[in-house]
Amino acid sequence: MKDDVIPPQMPLRPPDEVMRLARMGSMFPTRLSFLRSMIRRLAQENAHVARPVWNMDADGFGHAVYSLRFGGHVYSLVAISTDLPPELRTDRVIATAWDSAYVLYDGVPDEAEIARIAAAAPKQEAARFTERDLVLSRANKSVRLFAHVVQALQDGQQPDEKMIRDVGYLMRTTAVYGNGKFGIADRALIADRPGLEGPFAAEMLTVWLIRHFTHDLVEHVGGAKLDPRIKRHLGIGNSTGLGMAPFLVTHPVLLNNWMMARETALARVRAIETLSQAQQDRLMQLAIRAARHLAEWDVPDPEHQARIVTLRADWQSVLSDLKFDGTHPLDKAMEQAARFSFDVQELTAALMIEPFGDLVDGLCGCMADPQGPFCPPLTGTAALQDSIRSHFNWALVPDYDADTGCGQFWYVSEAKQEPRLGLRFSEPGAELESPLDIGRQIKALQMALPDEDQPISTFLSDHPQHAMAVERVQLGAVHPYAEIRDNLIATSCLPIDMLRCKLSFFGASKFDPKSDRWTRITLCQGAPLADELNASADDWWLPVFAP
Amino acid sequence: MIGSANEVMNLAAKAARGGGAPVAQAYAFGRAAACHLIAGRPAADLGAALDALPNGPILGLPVLLMACAEARQHEATIPAGPLPELTLSYAQTQSFACTATLCGTHITLSQTFDQPAAPWPAKRVTLPDTLAAKMQTLAARLLVPETEASRLAGAGAGLTDND
Repeated sequence: MKDDVIPPQMPLRPPDEVMRLARMGSMFPTRLSFLRSMIRRLAQENAHVARPVWNMDADGFGHAVYSLRFGGHVYSLVAISTDLPPELRTDRVIATAWDSAYVLYDGVPDEAEIARIAAAAPKQEAARFTERDLVLSRANKSVRLFAHVVQALQDGQQPDEKMIRDVGYLMRTTAVYGNGKFGIADRALIADRPGLEGPFAAEMLTVWLIRHFTHDLVEHVGGAKLDPRIKRHLGIGNSTGLGMAPFLVTHPVLLNNWMMARETALARVRAIETLSQAQQDRLMQLAIRAARHLAEWDVPDPEHQARIVTLRADWQSVLSDLKFDGTHPLDKAMEQAARFSFDVQELTAALMIEPFGDLVDGLCGCMADPQGPFCPPLTGTAALQDSIRSHFNWALVPDYDADTGCGQFWYVSEAKQEPRLGLRFSEPGAELESPLDIGRQIKALQMALPDEDQPISTFLSDHPQHAMAVERVQLGAVHPYAEIRDNLIATSCLPIDMLRCKLSFFGASKFDPKSDRWTRITLCQGAPLADELNASADDWWLPVFAP
Repeated sequence: MIGSANEVMNLAAKAARGGGAPVAQAYAFGRAAACHLIAGRPAADLGAALDALPNGPILGLPVLLMACAEARQHEATIPAGPLPELTLSYAQTQSFACTATLCGTHITLSQTFDQPAAPWPAKRVTLPDTLAAKMQTLAARLLVPETEASRLAGAGAGLTDND
């Protein structure tokens, strides 16, 4: 981790406690989330969003360009809005047409470049792009809310606030592609640019600009302005499926760095000896805001709604006991939260971190992985055995031969090469399994290691199938939060937990699971509008709509 | 095909997996392949390596280089093998800092094990169409044909999208 002066901290929560699916699936966004840090940076730079092109017909079909200078570079969002028949509208990644398509462009596109993007972007995966194209995305309208807002504005009214609260966005993205996909620029091209160094920063900038476009579009078609309070609460939706889950497994160093930053932030605030009255008041305000946010979070799925209802009740209990006087008040608050569910514990952790930007914001600079999967190589199979015993006991416990221990398998579907999860004993394709079974591989390695020490290279010459497990063991020795410490092929594995973990790092809220394999979320809800990037632009953790 | 380094790296890795390489060796090949093409080395080397699966350099070169690292040989010499420039590409894509130089039938390595490798240059990669087609064919071997059950479990399934 890097920081100029390292503040005191309590011990980190151990990986065996933190890196469990059930806890990861209870995470909330924090001030370290990528949208928060990116928008803080925009506000620090007093970034100005211009709209040099608005070529849109009365029904809102056409294209627009938004440009801003950020970190010494100019970036432009090229937005294409098309007339999509209802029968073609689907959130599936296998879709072939969308209401709108977007490219975050490096610089300001001229007419020829706009024409190129206008032709290519609506085709998404079926087109090829250039290194001037940094991010590729698409979004579909929330038809019911978009139509309602247009009608209300045309009638000279503001939209129904309950609908705004219940839906929360005018469009939802169904993919946001970066890092070289379909010929767009490699992340390496922008990874050292100020403001875009952090993970997914270019993607988050794109999402924030898309949200801005959706506001402009509905006002254009409606012929009137939205109340800024309503507009601020209109974020950008997103439908996310299994495609996001393997990322956490295939990027162990990145996962380690995200979790390490978050846990370090928590450990730092837990070490605070005493709080001023103003700090205590601020924490109470935020805790009450969290309760109001929970009250506005309703989902159709009965199981998840029941979980939210339980969390609301538990949070009221927490609120009634919360005290921030005395010594080490935040450490005590976390200890008290341990009586409750993971949901309460992780909400408490996010709350504790929120007011202490001066202590934790520097950690945002530690969340990328510019060095990649680097670690000093271990020497000899005995060192591997030692490392497995020290860091991978979790992987040795499950019985991967039992039906329930290997009941699912990850694979890539022929349809748009979409990652999926199948039932091993009732669906075809297990022989083409994707290697997300890290625990099983570690256990197989451990069982194959010789009793006598020998060079790892000699061992791998005879057993090349264990090379991936060897790499993970070497990484695990220096990256304690690199692995999800659960059996990802067990019948009980719920991918939705992986999605929520990753999405919370993006800054997502209002998780709305549609099954245990995909969810809708809202991004940028409560975030500052383009003309609100000022000193108070950072106060939108768990936004609340009701006045 | 002109593409990003990342997509060529991933395509090469999937091709190696589809050709029978274990996962770690496949991704090592992906990294080496992108480096190889960025450096302007012969694309035919990559095709030859894929043709040699499930044996050949894709399995052999990682072990050869690991043996040098494991022995903590800061300065080492390894045989360049039948595809010397591919061996060079492998040496230059290890996770730690490594300077590799081709000297006739051998490659000299200067390795710093406690220092990460420098980031790659952000360059476009030209992948010859025939090699791209070969890689795509091999990579497609990993894909599982869609079933109705799997489709119905995916994102966006099970509700109207006009809501």
